[in-house]
Amino acid sequence: MIAAPEPDQVAPLIQLVAAGDRAAFRTLYGVAAPKLMGVLLRMLGTRSEAEDALQEVFTRVWTRAGRYDPALGRGMSWLIALTRNHAIDRLRARPAAAATRRDDDGREDDGTDALPDPGLGAEGGLIARGEARRVIDCMGRLEPDRAAAVRGAYLQGLSYQDLADRFGVPLNTMRTWLRRSLISLRECLGS
Amino acid sequence: MTERLTRDEEDSALAGEYVLGVLDAAERASVERRIRSDKVFAAWVQRWETDLSQLDAGFAEAPAPNLLPAIEARLFGRPDGRRAAAPGWWRRFLTGGVTAGVFALILVALVPPAPGPVAPAGPVLTAALAAEGQALAFAARWDGAAGELVVTRTGGDAAAQGQVHELWVIAGQAAPVSLGLLEAAELRRALPELPEGAVLAVSLEPSGGSPTGAPTGPVLVTGVVGPADA
Repeated sequence: MIAAPEPDQVAPLIQLVAAGDRAAFRTLYGVAAPKLMGVLLRMLGTRSEAEDALQEVFTRVWTRAGRYDPALGRGMSWLIALTRNHAIDRLRARPAAAATRRDDDGREDDGTDALPDPGLGAEGGLIARGEARRVIDCMGRLEPDRAAAVRGAYLQGLSYQDLADRFGVPLNTMRTWLRRSLISLRECLGS
Repeated sequence: MTERLTRDEEDSALAGEYVLGVLDAAERASVERRIRSDKVFAAWVQRWETDLSQLDAGFAEAPAPNLLPAIEARLFGRPDGRRAAAPGWWRRFLTGGVTAGVFALILVALVPPAPGPVAPAGPVLTAALAAEGQALAFAARWDGAAGELVVTRTGGDAAAQGQVHELWVIAGQAAPVSLGLLEAAELRRALPELPEGAVLAVSLEPSGGSPTGAPTGPVLVTGVVGPADA
């Protein structure tokens, strides 16, 4: 869908892994592990859990690589989606008390205001291009705290309850906010 | 609050909530069931994943330790193992309560070597695929000279409508490789090589076989390949 101008170095590696190529699997680890570790650290908060999750993520990469379709997105996006999914499953499996403690780990400075993405420059060309910028432009049309809620959920894996606590609103209000934000975003992005 | 959402808006919003990750565990599980059964809904999820992936730039890279040895050991077995080790999940299955049953069945199901005047020119290996509490069973016989594998259903029934039994071989540290679908009572196919100690396994897959090239459904029965005259 995203017509990315840069060659996708990760996609062919995933396809080789799907064919059972273990050398490609090792190369893929070298290429992708730092980014995926960044995702897991940001979402899970502790290095020990992030490392544990990274092992599980690469185990899944090996077994699920055949499901990757390069027509639907870049290789790294697929890897990050798989990684986020696993991190969210872990977060939602935590007891409620642990989930609350997570907010005191000094990570609460993200998501509460519309900070620029720290890595916005890192994927340079892709993000800078009109088409790929759309979601960021569309989020710019949301009220700032609602955009921050979307970003906080995506980047930190915040649950509805986490978001309600953070923004000081009742849970149902947060649900309504976020669902409306998603509907506005979808209108802006087009279906 | 009071405005009614269209069906598309509802579905799109739910898919967005799922991709963002705000749902609780039970809600996530229910959405995941829907993704598997509802292609239109699955397309909403895919669309959100693609669109929101533009936020991925917000994740910084972090130093990652080399966890490859542990990951590879989990996937492919111990790298220095003398005996070809099956991948982790097969090993878990094999070391479960079923092992004793599997080996007991191998003993009774072994196909005796051809007693005729002409000895087989190549090795003959067999395996009995079974599991405790499982009526389904298969006998496998590989003729090295002919390079042919014959797998016969010796117990249980063919898979239910919409599903199929798929045969896999795990040789050494390799990932499972499909040997075909066990639709009839007998599967006969060319197989030039089958190492002793390899594991044969049957999993339950959607009709047409595993969509991924790797087993996706439950493993029903397994057996270890051994000499016919053991």
